[in-house]
Amino acid sequence: MRRARPLLGTIVEIEVDGVAQAAGEQAIAGAFEAVSLVQRLMSFHDANSDIGRINREAFRMPVTIHPWTARVLRHAQTFHAASNGLFDCAVGFELMRHDLLPSDDLDHVAAGDFNAVRLSADRSVRLTAPVAIDLGGIAKGYAVDRAIASLRAAGIRTATVNAGGDLRVMGEIDQPIHVHVPNGGLVPAGHLRNGAIATSSAVATVDRIGACRPPSSGTDGRAYSVVAPSCIAADALTKILVQTGEPQHPCFARFGATAFITGGNLPSMAA
Amino acid sequence: MKWTPILTAPAAIVLIAPASANVYMSEQQAMQAIFPGASFSAGSRAGVFRASSGGIVVIDRVLGKHEYIKYAVGITAGGTVKGIEILEYNESYGYEVREASWRSQFVGKSASSQLQLNVDIKNISGATLSAKHITDGVRRLVGQFQSLKGQ
Repeated sequence: MRRARPLLGTIVEIEVDGVAQAAGEQAIAGAFEAVSLVQRLMSFHDANSDIGRINREAFRMPVTIHPWTARVLRHAQTFHAASNGLFDCAVGFELMRHDLLPSDDLDHVAAGDFNAVRLSADRSVRLTAPVAIDLGGIAKGYAVDRAIASLRAAGIRTATVNAGGDLRVMGEIDQPIHVHVPNGGLVPAGHLRNGAIATSSAVATVDRIGACRPPSSGTDGRAYSVVAPSCIAADALTKILVQTGEPQHPCFARFGATAFITGGNLPSMAA
Repeated sequence: MKWTPILTAPAAIVLIAPASANVYMSEQQAMQAIFPGASFSAGSRAGVFRASSGGIVVIDRVLGKHEYIKYAVGITAGGTVKGIEILEYNESYGYEVREASWRSQFVGKSASSQLQLNVDIKNISGATLSAKHITDGVRRLVGQFQSLKGQ
């Protein structure tokens, strides 16, 4: 049974197998509710979401956030440190400057990095500099993980959740995985069991190595993929792969991940 | 986690260009999912259904550059969105492949090269699909709610 809904700015597809119709419908509805909660908590566009409030208020006063948002920010901190700053969710300024995100009420925001984010044990957030956080590079992967957790709690044993290319499979079956190459076709990449894969293109990633890549420069025709045990790791690590172009970067092994680049002049560079 | 990559030499790239058609649910299933337990009567305008519990379900289609999406949106009697379900989603990755000049660059590279058409493929990891057309469609239908509910 497969269902799809528009969420997180993309189309989220959930498939479950080996379960009766009614139980499957109920489990899928619960999983969509988990994805929907991630969207409500972590949307940059919504001034009342946790992220909306952090970006508007946390430079002046502490903002208390939901445990799921706190979890994602802690992961973001880990990936930021492990990549020497290449993975950085404090890119709101750059994304607004390129009109990739709306800047309503955010005139005070300046360029900065994730070191400005202080998260205490009581889930209150302070910003030590007027940065803006965008979880676009990590929240979709987390939403996929929450959906899988919700399905598992509902007794589902075989499932796939795909949020616009960030996907995770559960169950004792090897699932064939294809990678969509920008401006190209689909390339069979391998088989995955109980794991996640995410794929990014160079267009949507803010470059922390050189200057910010203007969106008008377009795609380099390559798909940057990371396979990892969790979708949050796969999602976040693709941003490091896009910037380094190195599937052998030590960052990936540290998180139990495998990276590869497809398309362009490098049809398949397996790590 | 178990990952078994397909180790292809650069020349042995296999490109697949499916016209993938995903059918998720019927109109009836979508109506029940959005207004559980209600019964529905068809309005005079095609694709508009009135729920016995109040509110309407509109079946709509949006056509993007590379995709065709059929979806249902439920709107409460108060004019707010109750739920959205995607019924069908078709995406064509095939448009470049139909271009002979694009395709010719792969011809003769390897004996194992092949182009498969019209294959239904699941589990695609790739550049994010945009749901913008659906969002725009829902906004348009909510704006037309007063006229739709009378039909």
